[in-house]
Amino acid sequence: MPKHDTPLLDELEKGPWPSFVTDLKRQAEKKPECFDILGQLELSFKDKITHWKHGGIVGVFGYGGGIVGRYSDVPERFPGVAHFHTVRLNQPSSKFYSSAKLRDICNLWEKYGSGMTNMHGSTGDLVLLGTTTPNLEPLFYELTHDLNQDLGGSGSNLRTPECCLGRARCEWGCYDTQDLCHTLTMHYQDEIHRPAFPYKFKFKFSGCPNDCVAAIARSDFAVIGTWRDDIRIDQAAVKGYITGEFAPNAGAHSGKDWGKFDIKKEVLDLCPTECMWMEGDTLKIDNSECTRCMHCINVMPRALRPGKQQGATICVGAKAPILDGAQFATMTIPFIEVKKNEDGEFAEVVEVIEKIWDWWMEVGKNRERVGETIMRVGLPTFLKVMEVTPAPQHVKEPRSNPYVFWQADEVEGGWDRDVKEFRKRNAQ
Amino acid sequence: MALSKDELKAAILEKAMTAPKPQLYVKDFYACDPDAKPRDVKNAANDLVKEGKMDFWSSGSTTMYAAKGRAKDEEHR
Ligand code: HEM
Ligand code: HEM
Ligand code: SF4
Ligand code: SF4
Repeated sequence: MPKHDTPLLDELEKGPWPSFVTDLKRQAEKKPECFDILGQLELSFKDKITHWKHGGIVGVFGYGGGIVGRYSDVPERFPGVAHFHTVRLNQPSSKFYSSAKLRDICNLWEKYGSGMTNMHGSTGDLVLLGTTTPNLEPLFYELTHDLNQDLGGSGSNLRTPECCLGRARCEWGCYDTQDLCHTLTMHYQDEIHRPAFPYKFKFKFSGCPNDCVAAIARSDFAVIGTWRDDIRIDQAAVKGYITGEFAPNAGAHSGKDWGKFDIKKEVLDLCPTECMWMEGDTLKIDNSECTRCMHCINVMPRALRPGKQQGATICVGAKAPILDGAQFATMTIPFIEVKKNEDGEFAEVVEVIEKIWDWWMEVGKNRERVGETIMRVGLPTFLKVMEVTPAPQHVKEPRSNPYVFWQADEVEGGWDRDVKEFRKRNAQ
Repeated sequence: MALSKDELKAAILEKAMTAPKPQLYVKDFYACDPDAKPRDVKNAANDLVKEGKMDFWSSGSTTMYAAKGRAKDEEHR
């Protein structure tokens, strides 16, 4: 495969940053199909339109996901990318690898694919870019038998679950994100590998409201660690920050001189619910007003810690802006204890998940994310499905709709009132 | 009364072979047995794929079902 002229792409090699164009050129010495990626992309820059077609029947036997068919719409000009399927590998929870494992994956991909990867894709998976249909089965065989690694989800499947590194490295983890992520991945193997729904469905797990995997913005089912009791305060350490003994934000912003730490300006005044104040040199928090935003804890990690009664909040229904604009997940279950029972399952979390699925599979339209279904029917209806009693935190704004709707069981006699009795008093 | 699993599979396959559009969403099969749970319908359709009677057709973001041979793959165009 010949080299193509790529003046537009070459611009992307200028500047101090790493460049995928340079990477592709280097890889093309080994895998000449990479010249055709560059050639086709250059053409797309000129034509201002993609030349990838996607979709098809490609996959490995027994699986209905994990491989996304990609084809060039100009295969005569770029035969190296005529078929250029993407393979998604389920990453280990929190993405911990040995370097030996990464080498094995790269070697396997040199053998069966273009060698180009996307580490990690926005889905969370290890993404292997570019192979042909005949290579899929042998790749899959070696992947599962020699590397003990599986494909991830795509299409209308449960997508590869993803979690923050949580308690493995981070003191703020309010539940074991890796354990929940791994256990649910194993529990829902069928849903991950075969289409199960009218559209995609994503789980993401963050150990605290810092939400390092952006679960609230990117997942249909976001489990975000939180606590129920009071923020733990070490008043001596608070003084340490005030006197300058400890660097705020654990020194994260020390590259520039921001002046002396000012607890009022940098913590109290930035508390979104204005629930913090100083009494002399004692820090006070009205925990009933705290919205668990993590700001004060992030600034003064030695002095403040999440409370001891830990668990998670479940938010449902985030999505990207395909229809109706982007949407964050909506707080649905304010607090749930995330605990494993004797049989090794997170039964309470599973119950919540399946309540959502049973309803969405029935009521959701084709290609409608669960967040869109909720928006269509309204949150009150969804909360009823979830058997959740509405709390003030479920209310986004004061009501603008003057109508009050009653359920039959909220009205004396229900809907079966005796009309004759009524007419006796209200003759027409 | 819900259909037996075999009856449900037969109804799904029939629909997949005769529907005007070759590719169908899983929801399009719900009507094959209004009494069946959506998950049972999904499982029956996935069984038919396992048996080689239907194919998955995936756009990457959505997966559809087609009777074997009805959906055209890019490679066989
Ligand atoms: C220049 C002419 C008109 C003006 C400025 C006008 C203005 C209004 C306003 C301000 C309201 C209250 C809306 C609300 O509740 O928020 C209203 C309600 C209403 N108007 Fe008019 N109107 C006009 C002509 C008409 C005509 C010609 C008819 C009937 C033939 C009509 C029938 C009604 C009815 C039935 C309602 C009650 C709607 C409801 O139940 O909410 N109006 N109008
Ligand atoms: C068989 C014929 C009709 C039936 C069954 C009917 C039925 C109704 C009903 C059930 C309501 C709602 C009442 C409420 O929510 O409190 C309503 C409201 C209304 N109807 Fe009719 N209607 C009929 C004919 C008409 C005609 C001929 C007109 C006008 C020329 C009319 C004008 C209105 C208006 C203006 C309202 C709104 C009243 C308000 O402001 O709340 N209706 N109708
Ligand atoms: S989300 Fe919270 S617990 Fe998880 S890694 Fe980030 S800060 Fe730590
Ligand atoms: S966590 Fe956020 S809301 Fe709560 S006290 Fe700290 S700054 Fe205020």
